Amino acid sequence: MSEDRYTVLDRMRFTKNTTSSRLAILAIVFDVLFFISIYKSDVDTYYYTIIIGASIIYNLVFLLAAFLSSEGVKNYNTTYSWVLVILGIIQIARIFIIPMDAHRTIIADSPVMGNAQFVRTIIYLVASAVCLFASAVINWNKSRALKSHVASLEAKKA
Amino acid sequence: MATLNLQHIDKIYDNNVQAVYDFNLDVKDGELIVLVGPSGCGKSTTLRMVAGLEDISNGKLLLDGKDITAAPAKDRDMAMVFQNYALYGHMTIYENMAFSLTLRKEDPNVIHKKVLAAAEILDLTTQLNKKPSQLSGGQRQRVAMGRAIVRNPQVFLFDEPLSNLDAKLRSATRREILLLHKRLQATILYVTHDQTEALTLADRIVCMSMGHVQQVGTPLELYDSPNNLFVASFIGLPPMNMFTVRFENGELQGKGFTVGLTDEQKSVLAAYNHKEITLGVRPEDIAEGGNMIIRVSTNENLGMNTLVHGNLGNENRITAKLRGWASYKLGDEVAVHFTKMHFFDPETTNAIRKEGK
Repeated sequence: MSEDRYTVLDRMRFTKNTTSSRLAILAIVFDVLFFISIYKSDVDTYYYTIIIGASIIYNLVFLLAAFLSSEGVKNYNTTYSWVLVILGIIQIARIFIIPMDAHRTIIADSPVMGNAQFVRTIIYLVASAVCLFASAVINWNKSRALKSHVASLEAKKA
Repeated sequence: MATLNLQHIDKIYDNNVQAVYDFNLDVKDGELIVLVGPSGCGKSTTLRMVAGLEDISNGKLLLDGKDITAAPAKDRDMAMVFQNYALYGHMTIYENMAFSLTLRKEDPNVIHKKVLAAAEILDLTTQLNKKPSQLSGGQRQRVAMGRAIVRNPQVFLFDEPLSNLDAKLRSATRREILLLHKRLQATILYVTHDQTEALTLADRIVCMSMGHVQQVGTPLELYDSPNNLFVASFIGLPPMNMFTVRFENGELQGKGFTVGLTDEQKSVLAAYNHKEITLGVRPEDIAEGGNMIIRVSTNENLGMNTLVHGNLGNENRITAKLRGWASYKLGDEVAVHFTKMHFFDPETTNAIRKEGK
């Protein structure tokens, strides 16, 4: 192992995993952008109102879970990588709920969600999911590397 | 490391209050200088002027011969350790120590090596992931020192770093600072009001009072040959006993006691015949046996020494540090003599010495 690589690993013993943490925060930002942008449609329907209500509740859960994970990955905790992966999968699944349904629903000869808005919301959800996956993968790799580095230090001590 | 020259430095505040008068000092490379004096004597102000935290009203400050009088604090390459540690509570010890280097955008790997090296020196390796609130006062002060060390500055400035610590910890941390100085061979300017710290740490001491430098010298010089009454009474614990006496017929006559003098002492005092002078005697320069009588008021046992407080003659308060464990009671009489004396001119307060000394 080169000296630089060793120092990078050793540094992780005392520094936070800010890359993963910031990616998780960025995922929250994209989620917020998504959530704000779906309100732009002013077509009011019974169907739309119910899904929005569920979406609001899920968003609260998402914000809390993603924020907790962003703090968890700071300390190289691998459990939070799984939480981030699950949140990422749900973000992808959400594409097929509000944006897709709203785009398909036609009221007064026009879709509830237009093409531009549809693409924009998909981009936000995908971006959010990519950030969550990247955060999870980076955290996983770093945590494993740190764990084996600490183990080797302890073996040296012994 | 570097040399530091303070030339005719004054500090005058906006309200025309002068805190420092004509301060001159040449600090050699690797020297540990202690500025000592009572509260308000201008020692911290002087240090802050050196650090660049206060403007210098008059005079010049040279670092390695380069004039830095007007240079901003960040460009002076000096690191300051404060009395209250000034650590960031939300950061770990590692982050606190690395912070100044991070701000300078140094390579993180280089920062890591510097922090680990400093932590090793200060025995903080196992504390690096903790927050300052989880450490003791002494450990926090070591972190503050570590933060200074990682910068590898030309001059270290310490502003009463041990004042917040209890007596035991102060003594231990004092030894650590001494070891650190020996190890780093750093140029250090150290401010304290504690004369024990000054005597134990300093290569040279600058004793200050009311903004004026009273004496600059080695700890032994200040202890053994104080320039004036202020230095004599400030340096030494318990402080020096002072008596007003009259030099008559080759002896010193005080109120209710008389002290015989050697020929050398008589020649030193030749110009003061039939005049009053101030006689200074350190408590440790008083020994049992002799023609002077101390009437004991209190007795403090320190283990290997006993502090005897009482009256010499009629109304002269005196403290004697006698060897061994003694148990004098109120009203006991102890015969003593002086093994060493200091003479001062009562008008100028300066020490009376043989000419040329």
